[in-house]
Amino acid sequence: MAKLLIEIRILVASKILRLGKKCKQVCFFALDFTYLCTIILLEMAENEKELLETLQEQEYKYGFTTDIETETIGKGLSEEVVRLISAKKGEPDWMTERRVAAYRHWLTLTPPTWAHLDIPAIDFQDIIYYAAPKQPKKGGSFDDIDPELKRTFDKLGIPLEEQLALSGVAVDAVMDSVSVKTTFKKTLSEKGIIFCSISEALRDHPDLVKKYLGSVVPYTDNFYAALNAAVFSDGSFCYIPKGVRCPMELSTYFRINAAGTGQFERTLIVADEGAYVSYLEGCTAPRRDENQLHAAVVEIVVERDAEVKYSTVQNWYPGDKEGRGGVYNFVTKRGICRENARLSWTQVETGSAITWKYPSCILAGDRSVGEFYSVAMTNNRQQADTGTKMIHIGRDTRSRIVSKGISAGCSQNAYRGLVRVAKGAENARNFSQCDSLLIGDRCGAHTFPELDVRNRSAIVEHEATTSKISDDQLFYCNQRGLSTEDAVGLIVNGYAREVLAKLPMEFAVEAQKLLALQLEGSVG
Amino acid sequence: MLSVKNLHASVDGKEILRGIDLEVRAGEVHAIMGPNGSGKSTLASVLAGNEKFTVTEGSATFFGKDLLSMSIEDRARAGLFLGFQYPVEIPGVTMANFMKLAVNEQRKYRGEEPLTAAEFLRLMREKSAIVELSSKLTSRAVNEGFSGGEKKKNEIFQMAMLDPKLAILDETDSGLDIDALRIVATGVTKLHTPENATVVITHYQRLLDYIVPDVVHVLYKGRIIHTGDKTLALRLEKEGYDWLINAYEER
Amino acid sequence: MNGLDDSIRSFRRIEEGRLRIEREESAPFVAVDPAGLEIEVAADAAARLVIVHREAADTPVNVRIRLQEKARLTLTEVFLAPATVEMNLKQAAHSASRITTLQLAGADAAYRTELDGGQAESVLHGLFLVGGNEHGSVRLHTAHNVADCRSESLVKGVAGGTATGRFEGLVYVAPDAQRTDAQQQSRNVLLSDTARIDTLPQLEIYADDVKCSHGATVGRMDDEAILYMRQRGLSEAAARRLQLEGFAADVVRHCGIEPLCETLMEAVAEKMNEL
Repeated sequence: MAKLLIEIRILVASKILRLGKKCKQVCFFALDFTYLCTIILLEMAENEKELLETLQEQEYKYGFTTDIETETIGKGLSEEVVRLISAKKGEPDWMTERRVAAYRHWLTLTPPTWAHLDIPAIDFQDIIYYAAPKQPKKGGSFDDIDPELKRTFDKLGIPLEEQLALSGVAVDAVMDSVSVKTTFKKTLSEKGIIFCSISEALRDHPDLVKKYLGSVVPYTDNFYAALNAAVFSDGSFCYIPKGVRCPMELSTYFRINAAGTGQFERTLIVADEGAYVSYLEGCTAPRRDENQLHAAVVEIVVERDAEVKYSTVQNWYPGDKEGRGGVYNFVTKRGICRENARLSWTQVETGSAITWKYPSCILAGDRSVGEFYSVAMTNNRQQADTGTKMIHIGRDTRSRIVSKGISAGCSQNAYRGLVRVAKGAENARNFSQCDSLLIGDRCGAHTFPELDVRNRSAIVEHEATTSKISDDQLFYCNQRGLSTEDAVGLIVNGYAREVLAKLPMEFAVEAQKLLALQLEGSVG
Repeated sequence: MLSVKNLHASVDGKEILRGIDLEVRAGEVHAIMGPNGSGKSTLASVLAGNEKFTVTEGSATFFGKDLLSMSIEDRARAGLFLGFQYPVEIPGVTMANFMKLAVNEQRKYRGEEPLTAAEFLRLMREKSAIVELSSKLTSRAVNEGFSGGEKKKNEIFQMAMLDPKLAILDETDSGLDIDALRIVATGVTKLHTPENATVVITHYQRLLDYIVPDVVHVLYKGRIIHTGDKTLALRLEKEGYDWLINAYEER
Repeated sequence: MNGLDDSIRSFRRIEEGRLRIEREESAPFVAVDPAGLEIEVAADAAARLVIVHREAADTPVNVRIRLQEKARLTLTEVFLAPATVEMNLKQAAHSASRITTLQLAGADAAYRTELDGGQAESVLHGLFLVGGNEHGSVRLHTAHNVADCRSESLVKGVAGGTATGRFEGLVYVAPDAQRTDAQQQSRNVLLSDTARIDTLPQLEIYADDVKCSHGATVGRMDDEAILYMRQRGLSEAAARRLQLEGFAADVVRHCGIEPLCETLMEAVAEKMNEL
């Protein structure tokens, strides 16, 4: 039983959340929200008065500390550990055997080295593979949860209780490895929507999990996916039944707390025929001097005519200025689209010491659509190698990639992408725009796309540019009275705007704040 | 208001300004004219604080404060506005956000409360009317995809928003057709009060038909070689600069 | 390829695999099926050179080229057979290279250009036409090792039959290679559903004050242009052919030796008949 220190930095301003529900149609204009909501106002003349009061004040709350008890198992990985994790979670035998098979396969693999990353050797025996906040007996009510933890979430602004009803967000919070509490289950269950932890899903909906888990990212996919398949301890499961439009945004917050632990969460989202869901994922981790491993897998199944939007704001601890500590973020995210389905990935990556991540779309069904919108910012000694794969298999499939890299300090930032058009993918279309912004002359910005086309009716286009913040732009802003720091924040947010616009509003606010925070001290 | 004494400035070791003396008082309109390369735009840049130029000698005070020791943004916040000859494009940054920040930075500098969203909105509406700037433009990114005329109107719109004590307009008339010129120039005239001052840098008399100057200076080789009243501009239009330059060179 | 023979007959042959250019040479040089080449262009000198590969080579052909300060070289490389060539180009300050590479048979051509002196300039235009079960590839590695250099490349690919074409292009900008101007384009057309194009344009940049961009497209030709031409009376096949020739001509016309351009264009048209 170890004591945990929790230091929370991320915040969702619930006021804005509420507003978000009230005026969804105008939220799209509120991109530069941090700087004020003028645009909204310009766009809507009528409702002005009512909105103004809400708009005038947006506040962010910052750090606080909480102690929580956790349960862990010893360091190291073996078949016994894999079986122990499975046993701790009371999983069915088939699940245990799948884990073991994944573990055995993992033993035959070596970590990938093709990325433009300098990854120190990782001692996989020096990691704790299971750490859970000490939980009360299963099936208890919300009040049974450790009051400390509950207070934490209250402060966090993750709206666990009735404010949820107003904000329209259901949250599954994953502390370390175990899903603490899934809220709003009842409202969702009325629509037949399942939103719970993977553990619960294994218990309550084993057939669904058995059918879909590993169907998009098999354990044979890559080194980290195999590791995850063997040792994942929890994550979120979401099932939207046929024809159901999920009435609220679903959200998961991930957090690594315990020292020396790895986090291996697994997310599975299934949107059945004609269903729709928007899913948000946020990540934070406390500052620690050692590196922490995060090897997650996200699988998304988008059935015929269904649509899934998956948004991530990733703010794992990036390490300090000299590159000490920080999270290694090695993530496999992939979705498969059936006929006429649509999957949209939006990510804002500001954290982690090393990011290795390629949210991808398999466009298997005819007329399916894949999208990838990314802002990746690196500063100090951070490294990122991130991008996407769009695999066009069905006819008339379309994909769009917008990647905005921002490098500052001594960081390295690479976009890596693959667009593949298979033989039978008649009339496939792809457009990719990959821009890099360099801030300072000691960082690197790299672009590594591949277009692999095997059908003559395809039209695949890729464009990439690099730019810096020009002295002329800074002078212009300075001349209008803006400090250099504000000017840089403004320009960077403008540069990233096309992607930030794709985020649900409360995430956009958070993302902008993060971009500005990450750049502090990098110019001037 | 502005007092410039024996100002020398250079870029890359090359001296461009070679002893400028200039006094601007509240309520005045000055025109600075002169042939190409005489240092007109450099003077504007140096007063605004462009770090590309090095001041090697002389002084400049603005309301008694040492202008040259102030940062670009502090000069702006103190009420010095430069209308750029070539306004820069800032992709993705909307005019509204840009101006909101600029206005409130200025207010902060003066120790005033920031404008509320409603007040700001009102101000935007009111001021954009002065230069007939379409409200569509104010919701677009700063200068991005603006025509030459729109960019210049946008400069005057920003001037209206920031209500400067001293506006230095660098070749605001260049690249404007006659209608845009009229709109921009009458905009500037409307903004003129007994409390503020304007310095217009121009090649041509035509702008001065709208903005009538109290004083006209002729800049040549980094020095003001002649100063007169508005009739000087008319004479320059008719006779060119040669008579002045010749007289100066003989001296 | 008689036409080609005729046009290069008057050129000066390089036999011994070595060439040093000391001054501005007006008549072009030619090397046919070299086993290897070493070329040095002295300061302020200039030359035009044609390399023709008409026989398949088992071993890679190494071509080493040095351009001294202010040297200029116009190079046209033509592949009539599947050869493998590795070219290394080192350029000193103010030097300029213009390369046109034309693959009329599936070959493997790699160009590694090192811009080692300020104001050096590299321009490359490439075209590969592959059909049947050919495999053609063009690989570029352009290194901006110092500040103030310029590079520009445009490589076009056409693949028919069951052929595969591959383009790899890396622009590397070293730390402190400020004010680099590097542009790279890869344009490709597939003529059949069994052909494949794989293109990897890459940027690796370690300096901030740079103008770098790349673009890549794989696609079919513009259908509206076809309609327009048909409206003026061309058959669809003729229109497509014309369009494709135009696509290729855009590269060929850069070869820098006037009569040779025409001959090469004929060779391109001939190759297209096979696609």
